[in-house]
Amino acid sequence: MRAQSRASRVMVVVGAASALSLLAACAGGEGSPVGAGAADKKGTAADGSVVLELSQWWEPELPKGALRGIMDGFEQQNPGIKVKLISAPYASTQQQTVAGAASKTLADVVGLDGAWVNDLAKQKAVTDLTTLMKDAGYDDSQLASQIKVDGQTYMIPVVNFVYPMFTNDDLLAKAGVAKPPTTRSEFLAAAKAVSKTGNGNAGWILPLAQDAPNGIQNDVMSWVWASGGSMLKDGQPDVTNDSVKSAVSFVKDLYDAKAIAPGTLTMHEQDKVEQFTNGRVGMMIDSLAHITLIRENNPKLKFSISAIPAQDGYTGKRGMPYASWGIGVAENSKHKKEAWKLVQYLMSTDVNSKLSSVANAFPGNTKSVPDFVKSDAKFKTAFDIWNKGVPANEFTGLPTAEDLMRSFDEQLQQTLANNQPVDKSLADVQAAWAKKF
Amino acid sequence: MTATQIPTRAAPTQEAPRRRPLPLRRLVPYGYLSPVIVLMIVLMIVPVVVVIRYSFLDNVIMTPTSSLVGWHNYVTVLGDPLFRTAARNTAVFTSVSVAVHLLLGLAFAMLLNTTLLGQRTKTVFRTIFVMPWLLTVAIIAILWRLLLDPNGVVNYGLQGVGLIDTPVAWFSDLNLALPAVTFVNIWAGYPFFMVSLLAGLQGISADLYEAAAVDGASWLQRFVHVTLPSLRPIIVSMALLDLIWTSQQFPLIWMTTGGGPLDRTEMLSTYTYKLAFSKYEFAWASASAVVLLVLAMVLAVFYVRYQRARD
Amino acid sequence: MTSRSQSVALKSGAIFGLLLGGCFAGLPILWMLSSSFKDNSEIFAWPPRLVTSTFSFAAYTSVFTDPVKVRFFLNSYFVAVSVTVLTLITAILAAYAFSRYEFRLKGAINVVIVGIQAVPPITLLIPYFGLIVALRLYNSYQGLILTYMVFTLPYAIVMMTGYFNTLPRELDEAARVDGTTSFGALWRILVPISLPGIVSVAVYTFMIAWNEYLFALTLTRTDNMRTVPIGIQLLMGQHSYKWSEMMAMSVLGSIPVLILFVFFQKFFIGGMTAGAVKS
Repeated sequence: MRAQSRASRVMVVVGAASALSLLAACAGGEGSPVGAGAADKKGTAADGSVVLELSQWWEPELPKGALRGIMDGFEQQNPGIKVKLISAPYASTQQQTVAGAASKTLADVVGLDGAWVNDLAKQKAVTDLTTLMKDAGYDDSQLASQIKVDGQTYMIPVVNFVYPMFTNDDLLAKAGVAKPPTTRSEFLAAAKAVSKTGNGNAGWILPLAQDAPNGIQNDVMSWVWASGGSMLKDGQPDVTNDSVKSAVSFVKDLYDAKAIAPGTLTMHEQDKVEQFTNGRVGMMIDSLAHITLIRENNPKLKFSISAIPAQDGYTGKRGMPYASWGIGVAENSKHKKEAWKLVQYLMSTDVNSKLSSVANAFPGNTKSVPDFVKSDAKFKTAFDIWNKGVPANEFTGLPTAEDLMRSFDEQLQQTLANNQPVDKSLADVQAAWAKKF
Repeated sequence: MTATQIPTRAAPTQEAPRRRPLPLRRLVPYGYLSPVIVLMIVLMIVPVVVVIRYSFLDNVIMTPTSSLVGWHNYVTVLGDPLFRTAARNTAVFTSVSVAVHLLLGLAFAMLLNTTLLGQRTKTVFRTIFVMPWLLTVAIIAILWRLLLDPNGVVNYGLQGVGLIDTPVAWFSDLNLALPAVTFVNIWAGYPFFMVSLLAGLQGISADLYEAAAVDGASWLQRFVHVTLPSLRPIIVSMALLDLIWTSQQFPLIWMTTGGGPLDRTEMLSTYTYKLAFSKYEFAWASASAVVLLVLAMVLAVFYVRYQRARD
Repeated sequence: MTSRSQSVALKSGAIFGLLLGGCFAGLPILWMLSSSFKDNSEIFAWPPRLVTSTFSFAAYTSVFTDPVKVRFFLNSYFVAVSVTVLTLITAILAAYAFSRYEFRLKGAINVVIVGIQAVPPITLLIPYFGLIVALRLYNSYQGLILTYMVFTLPYAIVMMTGYFNTLPRELDEAARVDGTTSFGALWRILVPISLPGIVSVAVYTFMIAWNEYLFALTLTRTDNMRTVPIGIQLLMGQHSYKWSEMMAMSVLGSIPVLILFVFFQKFFIGGMTAGAVKS
């Protein structure tokens, strides 16, 4: 009996102790063996300097060490400030930004996509940069653009990626197309001709996966903007207008003519680039940033870059779709002043030139000129196209922009795969969008 | 202490625990369970309670203040036609997956249990058969996207043997997407059944088969009257567990079709995820999550009941 | 004679079935292996080839020479081993209570534990994230380890309880008549004879922890805390896939689990019966 009751007591103590030790393990917190260390607890390093966190998806996209090198430059100029890079691919960065905004744990400086800004600003997760600029006495005239919500700036595009048309020279020649199409009807004819060459070749490629619906922005709306059209009117949705209707009907024509590579409905941007790189696709609309990637992965591929074809007979200025790597400062940051210094550094003429050179992007500072414009004919062409057209991306700064793209995507898929009339689809999109504004 | 106590002490010692258990003794099992209980309360019960709370609020997370809206979120979610489509897809995906998991698992387990082949051959095949199970979902999704690509090796093979004329985009064909993701899920999940059933088969006494053989039972009769009844407990447990797990499958769907084309592979899990991370309607997402939770709990209750009935 | 030809037919039938099943299970994995040796541009080459002229170990070298990727592997090992050890200890204690004691909340706790397996993980993501941050476990090994335990424990407890139930109560009761404590009876008598069951639970737990993806992605944010499945996903950039490296890392990431299985399959398969039949 005595043995048993002692055993019972031992058991209760052991149980409680192990429960406590589990909790103690928790209380140990971030003090991980080799982990983050003390630095990110209070935003100050052991030597008293400020540690800024910069979360972005850029580092994996840039040559190894490039972004770190730029940050080292900043640390040299600003003794007492250290920068810690928090890098993840685009989709994970997006998810972590949403989660971080909800739990007030955003990095001090956050890489932003134009599509996220409105939501984050409304949520008061990112801070108003207009005030920061004023406090720092910053002259914003050199900034190419600023993304505003309710009149205040929340994001500054650091570099911009243009989306021109890429054409596979050999494939087009094989299909009997002498030069890249400049109008929609030429494009349709060329796409059909390429698809007829067989071997699994396709004229055009269109990624419409719903989990990453940016194909709507890059590959569909770009047709609208290239012909000077718009999906908005006075800041409100207007997708039932003729310019959107004609672009969607055009995509439907391409689809019905089997001129689009199979798998469209669940395809991702990566697949698009991959198939073009492997020489299976005649034409695609894609980010200029991919030139290097395509050359690296398939040095034999001969391709050209030109402006996105416009509606037949259109002579006005061409809208040039683009995407940005934007930047903002977190509301929960304890070092907003230092954070602004980092933003300012990234936007300064030389650093911005350097970053746009390594990223193959166009600078966010109007005075910066990236190296590749001088050294590379293809980029020179693109730079000319960029300068001739007007930058166009109407999704930037819209509320739940990604969801707007997704509801457009759903209806477009209905039209393509289920033959739902274009008018009905666009009317449904209009209704869905109107609820969000 | 005193001599009189010694004899009286011996008798009650044996009786005491039954008659009048000491409070401390009653706490022993809780002592053993305390680490589990603490962990589960902190890391599971608390978040579940938070989700349930969110499901009755308005505009959670996205705005600093939110108000109680009663069942409004549930009405919204349950009234959404997409929710019903997702429920239907989940039902098809789950039931077909579980059924085929079971059939394949049983077939492979019986092949591996046969006495016709050498031990070494069986070990080699057992290892090959179990391999899909050893891969993480991220790998499975990427691998099958590679294989089922319109330019991928599966299309090449099928064209080679003349089953199809032109490459098929399996994951984005309206009528093939759901079968395709179900197929991938079957590929990834049957080994779990196979391993369990193999263990069960090895546990069936040879006497039972011998007795059946003496009675002149055919292979089929032995299977129906000896094998299946012996495996019944495993089959039911595994099927219930698999139902629970498959109905929640998220990463595989998300990384292959993302719920598309149109709504053809939208599941309750992807639907909920989109509500939260794409529409930022965390309150709706919570309501949808709670519905999913209740469904899963019903299955869990069946599972526990079944386990208890057998004990 | 007829029985002999019948057995030959049966045997060839069995072999045919095995080969067919082997192709179903193994060919996709063979293709994964083959793709890991290809150049990225050859991945979708038409016609597809198992071995191409660009055959090289480049993808593997690039994984091994990258300290960040090596760190993914070390993290995965550390996390998976810790989860396995802690899960085993906790599950053995709990299973002992379930198997050997009657107590008022037994049924209720059992339902909760089984029910937890039914909680869809993604739906808990947002509150969970906040909770982990509040506990100061964000981006730490402890956060991952405790999280994984929540997912591994229910099944481990169910399996261990089933295993203990197969062992006659007389075993530990005999020990306790000899004056051993209940705790002593557990560790000295039950645990040693349950070793096969414990190994099977361990392999299972290790697999779950090694393969987990969603929470590893959400609860970590720096490369020094990330695990292999996330590492593989990191190779899917915004703009391109590094197929061969993804496949190489998948192969490398699957090897530890495969080795565990090959070594312990006897225990493992035995242990599954206990858990499944008698839980």
